[in-house]
Amino acid sequence: MRRYYAPGLALLLVVGAGAFSEISWRSVRPSIPEIGRKELEPTLGQGVLLGILGGLRTVVADLTWIRSYVLWERKDRPGCEALMRTACALDPHSRYFWENTGYAIGFDMAHWEIRRRGGYAKVPAETQQRIFQQYARRGIDVLNEGIGHSKAPAPLLLCAAQLAETKLKDHALSVRYYQEAAESHDAPWFAARICAIIMWEDGRKAEAYRWFRKYWTERMLPKEDGFPDDLGQLRGMEAGLGLKPEERIPRPSWER
Amino acid sequence: MSSAISVRRLTKDFQIGIRGLKLRAVDDLSLEIPRGQVYGLLGPNGCGKSTTLKVVLGLVSATAGEISILGHPSATAEARSRTGFLPEAPYFHKFLSGRELVTYCARLSGVRPSELAAAVEDALGLAAMTDAADRPIGTYSKGMLQRIGFAQAVVHDPELVILDEPTAGVDPVGSAAIGRMIHAMRDKGKTVVLCSHLLGQVEQVCDRVAIMDRGKLVLEGRVEDVLARRDRHVMTIEALTPAAREAAEAALAAHGARVTSVTHPRRSLEDLFRELVTGSRDA
Amino acid sequence: MTPSLQRTLWISRVTFLEAVRQRFFAFLMVLGAAMVLSSVSFRVFDFGHGELKFIADFGFGGMFLFGSVLSVVMTAQLFFSEIDNKTALTLLAKPLSRSEFLLGKFFGAWAVLGVFVVVLSGLLGVVMWAREQELVAMAEQAGKVPVTFSASGMVQFALLQWLRLGVVIAIVLTISALARTFLFAVVVGSLAVVAGQLQWIAQDAVLKPTGSILYGAFLWLSTRLLPNLQQFNIGDALVLGATGVPAEAVAEVALSGLAYMVAYLFVGTLVFRRREI
Repeated sequence: MRRYYAPGLALLLVVGAGAFSEISWRSVRPSIPEIGRKELEPTLGQGVLLGILGGLRTVVADLTWIRSYVLWERKDRPGCEALMRTACALDPHSRYFWENTGYAIGFDMAHWEIRRRGGYAKVPAETQQRIFQQYARRGIDVLNEGIGHSKAPAPLLLCAAQLAETKLKDHALSVRYYQEAAESHDAPWFAARICAIIMWEDGRKAEAYRWFRKYWTERMLPKEDGFPDDLGQLRGMEAGLGLKPEERIPRPSWER
Repeated sequence: MSSAISVRRLTKDFQIGIRGLKLRAVDDLSLEIPRGQVYGLLGPNGCGKSTTLKVVLGLVSATAGEISILGHPSATAEARSRTGFLPEAPYFHKFLSGRELVTYCARLSGVRPSELAAAVEDALGLAAMTDAADRPIGTYSKGMLQRIGFAQAVVHDPELVILDEPTAGVDPVGSAAIGRMIHAMRDKGKTVVLCSHLLGQVEQVCDRVAIMDRGKLVLEGRVEDVLARRDRHVMTIEALTPAAREAAEAALAAHGARVTSVTHPRRSLEDLFRELVTGSRDA
Repeated sequence: MTPSLQRTLWISRVTFLEAVRQRFFAFLMVLGAAMVLSSVSFRVFDFGHGELKFIADFGFGGMFLFGSVLSVVMTAQLFFSEIDNKTALTLLAKPLSRSEFLLGKFFGAWAVLGVFVVVLSGLLGVVMWAREQELVAMAEQAGKVPVTFSASGMVQFALLQWLRLGVVIAIVLTISALARTFLFAVVVGSLAVVAGQLQWIAQDAVLKPTGSILYGAFLWLSTRLLPNLQQFNIGDALVLGATGVPAEAVAEVALSGLAYMVAYLFVGTLVFRRREI
């Protein structure tokens, strides 16, 4: 019986270490979002394994991105999309990959698909529209995923907003993305104005004015020059809505 | 007092291949090696003598049988701390100097730090390696490797020293030096077990011998007893003329004795070699 | 210090000396260092990750790749050089137990990998610090928020890498204790490293409910027997703070590494005790 003590203890130690690693893995798993992504599965044989195994993820992601350019030139949609998504999966913190993948899928690939089917002259307008919408939705899906990983998501939100506006023709969705972009910490100055203009043109005039005025007052007015062009836009809206003078934005000292 | 090594009914089988065929290397061997003697374990290659030594040292497990060293079960730390071992064709880390190797082995053998320097110097002196002690082992000749191997085996002043083919590949001068070391150990009251197939050397240095063949013990006893032919005598005569020889043969015949051969005595080639190259060291 | 510990340390010392004198070690060390240094010139290939991330990734990659190769090949070589050259005969005939011998080999090899990790992570830290200074100055001029790296995160990452390599050494020693040839030990050791890096797949799966008892048992067994080496690869989060890692999580990973080492070394000792030299 005693001869089994040592092997028994060895088994206990190995199983114990394995059980403990389950606890540590639960704690540390959220810190490694790069692994376990479905996008990597089809490309495991293309040198990507090295990136999954351990270090060099950024380098492998870069090389994958360079290879995707070659396929982009050839307009090889499945290959290019797979490699671009692989690069995103290998380095999900890179905004550049998400942004360009979203643009490429949402804008370029729809054109490739129409060309593959015989060109704009051959493909009926309805089908073209369906293709544009189909790829725009896919592009937005990619961008949504990237937004979840990015610390500075404004460019991704703007890209999604553009796709929603120009390809899906879904202005409500576009406005939501523009609003989110405008309210993010890295918001570009033009996001709020574009958002307000789309809402205005979509018929949501009072809502557009209210939102843009609040935004301008809170985030633009305190800045150095107070963004006079945006104030000009707001004045135009006030005129369009026929607001009384007391309902309008009080005139700042610097306004011409 | 217990024997230096006591082997009782030792059997060692090696498993060959995945089918588990067994090769019996040592077959029911019993041996008592007394203390304070130089004991030769002889036999042709593959007869099981090295395996026996490995089992004694606990490097290989026995299939059956019992072994004790100086009264302790073999393979225990107590038994091994009182044993020194020089393996066949020793190889040591080339980047260490001779002194570093002996120090390393002394520490592994349990020599106290306070006694370390003296123990290392004694062992190097005994092996005549003091002069070359600070050279890297990679620069040593084969004879020097054997001598530094001897030094590491005796640095902790063991009661039992086991030497496996200590002179294999060593020239006669080096071989004689090792012979002197063995005698020095015996003079200090140590037990030396010498495993070799160089019969001339064993005959010169051993008090007792055991001969193994195919894993079995075929002969064991004192060297004189084993080698002596009690029914034959040798006389060495100077200035023997034909007439004197005839007279001597006649006188012997009168007593029922018969001269079976008359030859000139020869010195051994080893003696001649050592005489000619005396003073040279195997540097 | 107990005699047993002293003997173990002497074996470690000689193992360490033997390893650092090997050309293989020097070669991989130089290659790793060159990789870290060259990351600065390769940053033209960078696609907006941030230069520091790119440099860090090169360094982490070098440590992972060359560290893994070194810990597998060098450990097997250090073990088999003793067996094949029969120096193990000389050593194990002394009052030195097999566990002391194996632990001595482990600590010697682990110390060498410690030097490797310290040199590479130190070099990486210097390269990143130098570039960080330039980037901070440029960002301040442009009125942007500079990207920085965490030196304490780098130290934690280096420690975790050292632990990971320690687990690999313990596994390779266990395999070597069982193996008859150096080549077998290297091949199986390398496969074990790859399996360990991919073990998280089973670990992730085991956390989700499964309908099949057999599949569940297989997952459970593979997560218990194979080490999860991927949990040590949290360099991005530690050094660049991409997602952040709680201190307790780092401590848990470190303890997990130590638990693996103890477990595999215990198994290795048991196997080595039965080995005929």
